[in-house]
Amino acid sequence: MSQLWQVAMRELRERGRSKAFLFSSVITLILVLGMIFIPRVFGSGTEEYTVGLLGEGNQPIVTAALGFATADDEPGDLASVEITTVRFESRQAAVEGLDSGEVDAVLVDGTEVVVESVGWGGSRLLSLLGQGAAAVALERLIAEEGQAVADVIELLTSDPLTTTALSGGEVGDSSRYVIAYAGLIFLYVAILLYGTWMLTGVTEEKSTRVVEVLLSSLRPWQLLGGKILGIGLLGLAQFATTVLVAFAGLSLGGFEIPDLDPLALANLIFWFILGFTVYALLFGAAGSLASRVEDANNAALPMSMIAVVGLFISFAALDSPAGMAARIGTMIPITAPFVVPVRVSLEAIAWWEFALSVILTLAAIIGLVWAGGRIYAGGVLRYGGKVRFRDAWRSAAE
Amino acid sequence: MLRLENLHKNFGNIRALDGCTFEVERGQMLGFLGPNGSGKTTAMRSVFGLVRPESGSVTWDGVPIGMEQRLRFGYMPEQRGLYPKMKAVDHLVYLCRIHGMAQSDAVSSADLWLERFGLLERRNDRVESLSHGNQQRVQLAAALVHNPDLLLLDEPFSGLDPMGVDTMSGVLIEQAAEGKAVVFSSHQLDLVEDLCEEVAIINQGRIVVEGNVRTLKDASPIRHLELDIDGDIEALIESLPDVLQVQSSGGFHSLTIGAETDIREFVGRAQAAGRLRHFAYKPPSLTDLFREAVR
Repeated sequence: MSQLWQVAMRELRERGRSKAFLFSSVITLILVLGMIFIPRVFGSGTEEYTVGLLGEGNQPIVTAALGFATADDEPGDLASVEITTVRFESRQAAVEGLDSGEVDAVLVDGTEVVVESVGWGGSRLLSLLGQGAAAVALERLIAEEGQAVADVIELLTSDPLTTTALSGGEVGDSSRYVIAYAGLIFLYVAILLYGTWMLTGVTEEKSTRVVEVLLSSLRPWQLLGGKILGIGLLGLAQFATTVLVAFAGLSLGGFEIPDLDPLALANLIFWFILGFTVYALLFGAAGSLASRVEDANNAALPMSMIAVVGLFISFAALDSPAGMAARIGTMIPITAPFVVPVRVSLEAIAWWEFALSVILTLAAIIGLVWAGGRIYAGGVLRYGGKVRFRDAWRSAAE
Repeated sequence: MLRLENLHKNFGNIRALDGCTFEVERGQMLGFLGPNGSGKTTAMRSVFGLVRPESGSVTWDGVPIGMEQRLRFGYMPEQRGLYPKMKAVDHLVYLCRIHGMAQSDAVSSADLWLERFGLLERRNDRVESLSHGNQQRVQLAAALVHNPDLLLLDEPFSGLDPMGVDTMSGVLIEQAAEGKAVVFSSHQLDLVEDLCEEVAIINQGRIVVEGNVRTLKDASPIRHLELDIDGDIEALIESLPDVLQVQSSGGFHSLTIGAETDIREFVGRAQAAGRLRHFAYKPPSLTDLFREAVR
């Protein structure tokens, strides 16, 4: 066991200070901080528009549009949209105002809106004005009943239907989806990234022949297990750093720190450990079959494909967390690490499904330690070209 | 004592070991010789469990070798291999650690061997930045650094410059003198002859000659006789019985004669025949024994 630990420590030390690790850590941190701050820089504060008014009947539309835009604002916050109006006396003057950029749009007689150009996907201002105009028209229709624009807006922005989702998840609780989605992407990237380290690490030991020196004093499972432990710990350390920096960034930036359930975090870490172990064993065995680092990715192609399938099943699970695909994916140890965390985040998994999935994944790990270890032991000492799976399997038995 | 007994190993149709048996005592240095593909590397790898023989046993002091024993062995494989990106000292310390040494002992031992090989000031250099010869030295240090009881070195002299050969020879002699069992393979037979009292020659997977070099030479049925004389050398040679082969260039004659031939009288006749420039009577060289054994 102490030998296994020495192998793990070497991986931690050598990889931890390698340029590749530092580079990937810095990139991850930049990405995370970017995801936190960029929306704030671009999306924060107040959207300001200037609308030109020509003729009569325009002001109620602007007022209604503003009402729609700020319907979700919390009291006390800055208004999310401000609309300034400019009166024009002639169409000519209004067009000049548009050309010079003085105004973003011109309303004409409450029936027409003139803009310089319509961007791809339209613009927020146009849709707000459209909604405003519709509300004003509605108000005219129901004026006899004494409804005011404010009431119409309230009615239109409320949720008049209660939604019941059969396959789990609660509508309106979009933060669950964000966490499920972010967790899935994190797991996928982390498992494949560190799995690839495992792959190239094993092939590198083989191609430099250092494995012959190592295996003269280590059992194959100690070398394989030590590498998995070391790289896995490094992955967790990188994850912990990223989460800490993200939270520090959130609090320094004056953001509201999201309600991250400690259980959700623990669930993510738990499945990273299980998923990484499964894939590290697969990648380690694949790496032992290649004689050159250049060939390693070919040897690991089937594993990468399986991971992609896992990712797609997980996307299906995001849509329908208790659907057939999600249920099947839960029970397959190579897709479970991607699917189960999504279902857990969406609270759409039965306890027995979770337990069975963990048991099956652990059983798969035990099986892979045996089978992957055997292929590794057989493959890693066979040089020259790509070792065939069958030969590696047999040679370990010899 | 290391003992390989009746090892058999096939790779597909290739018979790598075919009843290979030999042993080496503590304090002994054994030259392990054989043509390319004769099974030297397979035999060495079987000591470390890197190949599993189909039958036969490998024992250390009579005990079948397991990981516990292997931690007390040092190995220099034919295919050199180190982590290219590790610092020399870190690499040696790591190898000590996986052999069960404490950290402080590991560091001092690593530095000791780096100093021994003149690499102390390069201790913090990455292995890949060292020259080929220096990488070889680190590789040898890797086999020695955990102070093993048995050294198995596959072609330790290949690729070394003459100074490197001297250092390597010195270390091997010293290790054997300290009571360690040393086995090394080499194709440089004159070097083996200088270093080893004992040799084992393997051919097609079995040991064909094994024993003390001197005894093996004495037991050889031939002797070499070299002559360079101003005088009637032809007549002189004809007076000698049991001459198997004569090679001459200028006045220099090299004869192969039967080991039983008594040359005491012949020495007198040679001196009487004329001025003696060169006279040598010697047993066959290790190269001769090797050629004979693997023919």
